[in-house]
Amino acid sequence: MELDFLAVLAVFVAGFLFVFLTLTVGKLLRPHNPYPDKNATYECGERPIGEAWIQFNPRFYLIALIFLIFDVEIAFVFPIATVFKRFIAEGNGVLAFVELFIFMAVLLLGLVYVWVKGDLMWVKQITRPAPVKAEPGNPT
Amino acid sequence: MNGFSFIDLRLLLPELLLAGTVLILFAGDTLLPDPVHKRRYLTLLALLGLLASAAAALDLSALMLDYGRPLTAIFTGQVAVDPIAMLFKVLFAAITVVGVLTSLLSDELPDKHMGEYYALLLSICFGMFLMASANDLLMVYLALELVSIVSFAMAGYRMHDKRSSEAALKYVIYGGAASGAMLFGMSLLYGMVGTTELTAINHGLVTLSGAPLVAAGIPERVFPLMMVVAVTLVFVGIGYKIAVVPFHMWSPDVYEGSPTPFTGFLSVGPKAAGFALLLRFFIGTLIPGSGGPGYDLDVRGVMPMAVDMPLPAVIGIIAAATMTVGNLAAIPQNNVKRMLAYSSIAHAGYLLMGFVVLSPSALHAVAFYLVIYFVMNIGAFTVVQAVRDRTGGEELHDFRGLGQRAPLLAIAMVIFLLSLTGLPPLAGFIGKFYLFAAVVKRNELWYWVLAMIAVVNSAVSLYYYMRVARAMFLTEPVKDEPLNVGLGYHVVTTALAVPVLVLGLYWAPLSRSITRSLSFYRAPAVVSPVAATTTPAPAPAAVPSPSLAPAGARH
Repeated sequence: MELDFLAVLAVFVAGFLFVFLTLTVGKLLRPHNPYPDKNATYECGERPIGEAWIQFNPRFYLIALIFLIFDVEIAFVFPIATVFKRFIAEGNGVLAFVELFIFMAVLLLGLVYVWVKGDLMWVKQITRPAPVKAEPGNPT
Repeated sequence: MNGFSFIDLRLLLPELLLAGTVLILFAGDTLLPDPVHKRRYLTLLALLGLLASAAAALDLSALMLDYGRPLTAIFTGQVAVDPIAMLFKVLFAAITVVGVLTSLLSDELPDKHMGEYYALLLSICFGMFLMASANDLLMVYLALELVSIVSFAMAGYRMHDKRSSEAALKYVIYGGAASGAMLFGMSLLYGMVGTTELTAINHGLVTLSGAPLVAAGIPERVFPLMMVVAVTLVFVGIGYKIAVVPFHMWSPDVYEGSPTPFTGFLSVGPKAAGFALLLRFFIGTLIPGSGGPGYDLDVRGVMPMAVDMPLPAVIGIIAAATMTVGNLAAIPQNNVKRMLAYSSIAHAGYLLMGFVVLSPSALHAVAFYLVIYFVMNIGAFTVVQAVRDRTGGEELHDFRGLGQRAPLLAIAMVIFLLSLTGLPPLAGFIGKFYLFAAVVKRNELWYWVLAMIAVVNSAVSLYYYMRVARAMFLTEPVKDEPLNVGLGYHVVTTALAVPVLVLGLYWAPLSRSITRSLSFYRAPAVVSPVAATTTPAPAPAAVPSPSLAPAGARH
């Protein structure tokens, strides 16, 4: 048992040494010649505008989430589309179609839902709720 | 396996009805423009869906128990269809019904968002259904995550309340860490036996332990160690869900910050589901045997392959620590919701005692106590919610003089609290009695010690429960005029208090139906892939014979 774990330890040590050694050797061999363009953040070759640490709109996050749902949908629909002929040959064509239709209907309901709720709008009004009505004179 | 079979779907009817209701709720939420209508009609819809799925579960249960339909696992062994799963499904549906009713009454939830609130609540219920049925590590993980992720959203439901957001964030972080640990444990289990189906894992482990491990290239001592690590890590994931002691930190903050109707639901629903899952995991993977109605459970039968792992002792220590920490931490709490959060940790400790013994009577006691605990705990939370809605606070001093201001509510609260303590004429006493009796029946020193710790803990809990009763009846009220609680709260609390009283005196039918339902699906003993390559002829004594498994006929 101990010998088995020795192999694990050896991997750990080797991994650590590998990173450590390559970085050290690189540091010793490479020329040291910094200038502003080289130190700049790499942005696909363009000169960067402004800081990298900026606040961006959380709406992006929501849109990404909604996109993900439909991304997954496509990922599921394509494989079925490719083998659909085989389903028909087996006599299960209608069943496969109905199942796929139910799947799409669920996702469509999701799309309708986010649409009605205004989550596809870039600017969404958020109303603050009225504070909970408290009994007057209660020390809370 | 070419594709389609209709029979699968009928066995899944409770889940399908629930999923359909969730979809209709989402549709209704978009279609109904008027918020007040939304609250009214969608509540009705949610209740109808829950009742329909509970009826479907009862029907399936009757099919299996009365008409001898063989127990099966559908979707290639992912979802078990057996009486114990159906029993828990009915319980979960009942819990969610009460959750819907308390949400309907709550002032904390705005009308506008009720549609999605109910849809999410029923999604959690759907996840709990799957947890009760999960017969495969994959389904265990999926079901647990479904319940967890939706619960995170629900904990943070009050968008502009900082404590609610804090609750959600804490819940997410703890949940993420726990599921990570659990996944690692699952990967180890899979690595040992090469299958993810729970009962097949058991067969694989039995076969492995029966065969000379050295011949298989596995040094003998590695196996129990790996087993210990794997089981411990899986336990982390489930233990987080049921809030046992090393993994309980999230629960007071989450309970305090969440909207009160959801807190009540959270304290019983996912917890009961976690215990259902733990039951299936322990019985499925760790105990060799048939699992049928006449299953042979014995603690000495737990994992004969891992003699190095004193599982009952480990669970026993966790149980004792859980109830002690829960009860001691509850004593100084002035926020009643927080106090009840610690009390629910303590109750998880009592329930965990059943897993120390794992005898048929202990399983019966656990299932029985879960039912009783559901009624009394959600009842107590409903009273807290009523007080919070009407006075704006949930601290101990908001309860002062409740005995004069809203006598019915106060009396119901005392009934719930006394039952939680476990005092004789009430249902909580019967539940605890069954649990303690199952532990003591083992009749060894350590089991007696464990039972004594539990009894002392119950006595300690009386103190902090009675602090609330004292505030309600023995202290001067801050204000004198009666509290206008409303008909709804009175109906719900009375409807919950009556079963607590009745089950304390006449519990036989409930107990009997639970005893009947205690049978688990078990896959027929097939030689697992690992065992097939390592042992040409498995030792016949170690492998449970297929004839013991009544479920084995249909696979």
